[in-house]
Amino acid sequence: MSRKWMVWVVVPAIAITLLGCPKKQPQTQPEEIQVDTEEVPEPAEEVAPPEPDMTEEDRVQPELPSDIEELNQYLRDQGLIDDVYFDFDRSELRPEATEQLATNADWLRGNPGYVATIEGHCDERGTNEYNLALGERRANAAKSYLVSLGIDGGRLTTISYGEERAVCTESTESCWQRNRRAHFVVRPR
Amino acid sequence: MTHRLRLPLLLLALAAPLLLAASPAAAQEPPEPPPEGEQAPGEVTLVLEEGQRPLLRLAFPELETRGRLTAPGREAAEELEETLRADLEAARIFEIQGPWAFTVLELTGELSRDMELYRSLGNEILLLGDVTEEAGKLTFEGRVYDLASGSLVLGKRYRGDFDVARRIAHTFADEVILYFTGRRGLGLTTIAFYSDRTGDKEIWLMDYDGANQRRITAHRSVSLFPAWTADDSGVAYVSYLDGAPAIYQADIGSGRKRPLVTGTAFNTSPAFSPDGRRMAFARSLEGNTEIFVAGADGSGPRRLTYTGAIDTNPAWSPSGGEIAFTSSRSGRPDVWVVDPEGSNTQRISTGGEYNDGAAWSPDGTKIAYASRRGGVFQVAVTDRVTLETTVLTSGAGDKESPTFSPDGRKIAYTLAFGGRGGKNTQVWVMDADGKNPTQLTREGNNHSPDWSGYRE
Repeated sequence: MSRKWMVWVVVPAIAITLLGCPKKQPQTQPEEIQVDTEEVPEPAEEVAPPEPDMTEEDRVQPELPSDIEELNQYLRDQGLIDDVYFDFDRSELRPEATEQLATNADWLRGNPGYVATIEGHCDERGTNEYNLALGERRANAAKSYLVSLGIDGGRLTTISYGEERAVCTESTESCWQRNRRAHFVVRPR
Repeated sequence: MTHRLRLPLLLLALAAPLLLAASPAAAQEPPEPPPEGEQAPGEVTLVLEEGQRPLLRLAFPELETRGRLTAPGREAAEELEETLRADLEAARIFEIQGPWAFTVLELTGELSRDMELYRSLGNEILLLGDVTEEAGKLTFEGRVYDLASGSLVLGKRYRGDFDVARRIAHTFADEVILYFTGRRGLGLTTIAFYSDRTGDKEIWLMDYDGANQRRITAHRSVSLFPAWTADDSGVAYVSYLDGAPAIYQADIGSGRKRPLVTGTAFNTSPAFSPDGRRMAFARSLEGNTEIFVAGADGSGPRRLTYTGAIDTNPAWSPSGGEIAFTSSRSGRPDVWVVDPEGSNTQRISTGGEYNDGAAWSPDGTKIAYASRRGGVFQVAVTDRVTLETTVLTSGAGDKESPTFSPDGRKIAYTLAFGGRGGKNTQVWVMDADGKNPTQLTREGNNHSPDWSGYRE
């Protein structure tokens, strides 16, 4: 809980909107849990969220494809938004994952008219039920990190597909690695 | 029924003293023979337990056909006979001599004389059946005789359309198995599972022997993890049809679907209490999956586990007193139990590298689960009290998602082989001791079998 507060202190704008939530925490019924009250994963405490160099409103919108698939392909090709990858049976962010998430955060910060769905995926080696929970954890690890970087949690939706929607179906390590990911899908609000 | 085994085959003659030695009391004190003639269903005089008794030696000649059968009628009769033989074989209580064995006999058609002939081949019981066709319907009459006394111990007659031939066979087989074991056969039980064979992951059902595979959802989404309701009238499952994974229930009779648990980001793995009043499931709070218990309709969810680790995949014990689930609180996935109030947490799996998918045996004494050993998932069974673990399977291919048949004699599970074309997963069934693995599904990938109770 204290870590969460530290992060919110550096991101006052978000903290204001969330101030009420931690107080309610102990007697919170599951239905009342808000998506914004994210647990911040380990790496977050080592990385201070960068100060935005301009407010979201100042930024000029580049011309982006209107088709969602084209848009996401374009963002991936440009290296503006990309997936992050995980170790087997783990949901902790690797160093290169935090770098990619910082890049993703930059783009989201500069394009406030867009929201993102973060899909958690797993490789085929665990069990289906457990992998669904693991994918949920991966998606939320990515989301929490973005929130710690100042992205409004309300713009980020998580969904776990476990091993049920693999991007790569071969039984090889390179294929498994491609499936162990938090996959970003960006779309206009 | 006496157990004077007259075994003509050398191999069996050698085996007989061993089998009898294993159960001297049983061999010396045969139970009272069943009363002559009629026996009320459920009235059982002889109970066989695996490992205590040799298999009953059953003579099962070809079914008689009386009168003329049309081509569809003959086909239905053949399906009936095939199903009946498979059911009796699958019960693993009989050593069946089929028609091939009787070519050496000079059968007379006179019952008492022929019974002597069947008996001369070492058989203890005889099953005779005949099929007639009338006005597009099939009538089957099955009779079971005790060859020692020569008396009829079970006789049943069924009539129905050609397309219920399998059901007639299952119903009669169940009666025969009930008579000899005190437990109904599995013929009318159903296995729910999910399959991607249509291109989408949908919920499917099949008969216990893999027949009649039929789809019960058409969400064209991702639908997973079916779980029978306590009364077997419905199947709860997880689906992404409304975006986030939520829990729905399909009524088998009407086909109607309704949401049980929706709303928050992530709800999965439904499991009903045996009294049908409550449902356990897993829900994610900020990415952290925990076990919850709600009413059977999803109302009033209450949190059961409080850890920072993954807690998921609950399975309610047959007594209702415990919920097995998977938790990574020890640093890796393991099977644990907790009571429905959230107390008395205990770890069940201690071996293996990764354990998930708990399923209780119907008597509540054992928990089966998938246990990764040397990089491959095997089906392991742990005694609930002693925590002694037996690994039932071996060899290559991941075996996951075990589920017990309602008589506890069988376990359905998935077997998967990886490959260049991707992992292929199918539902299999084996005896509860790991013997006689048999493949049930072949089309697409098939996952997460859940065996119904004895639905009628």
